[in-house]
Amino acid sequence: MKRKTDILVGFIVLLVVAATIVAVAWVKQADIGKRQRDVVARFRDVGNARVGNAVVVRGVVGGRVQAIELAPDGWVIVHLRVNPSVIFPADPVVLLNESSLFGEWQATVIERSALPHDDVVRREIAEAGRDGRMLPGATLPGIGKLTAVAGQIAGDVASVAERVEVAFDEQAARELRASIKNVSDLSSVMSKVVRTHAADLDVLSGQLQTAVASLNETANTVKLTATRIDSATTSPEARSIVSDLAIASTELRHTSSQIRELSGRFASTQTKLDAAITNGDSVLAKINAGTGSLGLLVNDPTMYRQTDSLLTELRALVTDFKANPKKYVSVRIF
Amino acid sequence: MATATSIDRPPASRGARVPLDAIAAAVGAIGSLTLRGLADLGTTTRFVADTGLAIARDVSTWLPETVEQMWRLGIASMPIALFIASFTGIVLALLASYSFTGAVPLYFVGTLVQKTVTLELAPVLTGLALAGRVGANIAAELGTMRVTEQIDALETLGYDPLPYLVVPRVLAGGVMFPIVVAASMIVGVGAGWIASVLLLHLSTPEFTKGLRLFFNTFDVEYGLVKSASFGVAVTLIGCARGLRTDGGAVGVGRAATSAVVYSAVLILVLDAFWAVTWLLGHGDAV
Repeated sequence: MKRKTDILVGFIVLLVVAATIVAVAWVKQADIGKRQRDVVARFRDVGNARVGNAVVVRGVVGGRVQAIELAPDGWVIVHLRVNPSVIFPADPVVLLNESSLFGEWQATVIERSALPHDDVVRREIAEAGRDGRMLPGATLPGIGKLTAVAGQIAGDVASVAERVEVAFDEQAARELRASIKNVSDLSSVMSKVVRTHAADLDVLSGQLQTAVASLNETANTVKLTATRIDSATTSPEARSIVSDLAIASTELRHTSSQIRELSGRFASTQTKLDAAITNGDSVLAKINAGTGSLGLLVNDPTMYRQTDSLLTELRALVTDFKANPKKYVSVRIF
Repeated sequence: MATATSIDRPPASRGARVPLDAIAAAVGAIGSLTLRGLADLGTTTRFVADTGLAIARDVSTWLPETVEQMWRLGIASMPIALFIASFTGIVLALLASYSFTGAVPLYFVGTLVQKTVTLELAPVLTGLALAGRVGANIAAELGTMRVTEQIDALETLGYDPLPYLVVPRVLAGGVMFPIVVAASMIVGVGAGWIASVLLLHLSTPEFTKGLRLFFNTFDVEYGLVKSASFGVAVTLIGCARGLRTDGGAVGVGRAATSAVVYSAVLILVLDAFWAVTWLLGHGDAV
């Protein structure tokens, strides 16, 4: 009886212990005796990720987070245990993110090119990938953080709405209604105008089409003419004309340089003439002022009279000289 | 006239003496209570220390008895424990479904059932049930032995009653309570699973998803260690109350009752103790 009790107690104890171990292993999805592949990724921060979180590849759970440990230089090393049959993308990166609204996290393995357009995430991935031995990882913001940002945005929107409410009082509403009515009236008027001028526009558009056709025709003609000119310029006569033109152009350049030289001389002469005129002006000014001999001659009547008298006497002297030359000239040779 | 005066006017010293007597009585009561508490504490501590010494000293005495006690305290208690656990699991699943009211996905029923059963309900409810069954049983048995002077006879013959009567029971309680609680955990979660599938129309993969969602091996470790401490406490109290029994059948009944009450209180105190010392802050650890 005693031995039977011992065996029974031992059996039940072992049974319960085994059942407990099996149950825990089953709930934890432990892979006892199954070959697994260990992958290491490094992160700056792992958020709320915990040991046992799922490793997801293309939406399928392919493993579990095996361990999380702090590493030097501010890194966090995450060991992922994945099924050997799971094939990672060509250039894999690991993102830690929330998988539901209820605090579940997962490690998602994706290709680098499929990263979200988030500069922070891309920078973290680039930094974590410098090691080369471990998969680069980054943590996406949790729903809590996003909710906080959304809350802030909602607060800003509420603030704006409050301001709009303050600005948009009864008066503003009335004015807005009146404006809308005006716009409505205006649009109906414009509609009428458009309807009225639609026929004219049709005619105009027909004419425009005709004009465009004419233009096309003209363009074709011009094109044809250009083709002909092009063919004409390639003949020997044209070459001769061009050569003559070149010679004429050379001569023109020569003539023009001579004209430039002449014009330079003319400019010099003009300068001298200006100086002479200036001197003349000065002399005339003196004459007008009555200074100098000429001034006195021109302005002083006494001088005039004396000169006139002198001329009269000279005339009488000449007359006398003509009449009696011997009186004044005595030529003796010996 | 003088007599009348003395009758009309009460003596001045009497009014002052009454409050002094009351204060003295109150202080005396506090002192008595403190002394009794300290005496109980000393007795209990000495009893626990003697039991510990007996475990180390008389292995050949307690070892053959321990398996028998494991059967009586553990295996024989299994049906009632599993019965409680199964109904607890069912009720928990229904309560969770009722509380979620569509705001929380229904697969969280599995999470709630797993967490609640492994961390709290399986250890505590099983502990309380076994405190009633095992604690009362031990106190009544040892109390009867005490009042029928069987223990006195052992002591007269030079046998120490502790290795023979107390140590096997305490060890059996410490070993078998976790076994019973582990079985209760499995049955409780299984009952919750069945109830979810049958009554809540939750699929098995959904329940399993919730079950695994936040499962941690620590949950089971915590529940089992806690239940081991309950087992030791319940058997120690039962033994202590039984060995201190006096007054015949009435004393035996009183010992059994006080063993159950003290065990239940100590289970709740230990539950809080483990929660504060071990559970608190564990969630933040990596």
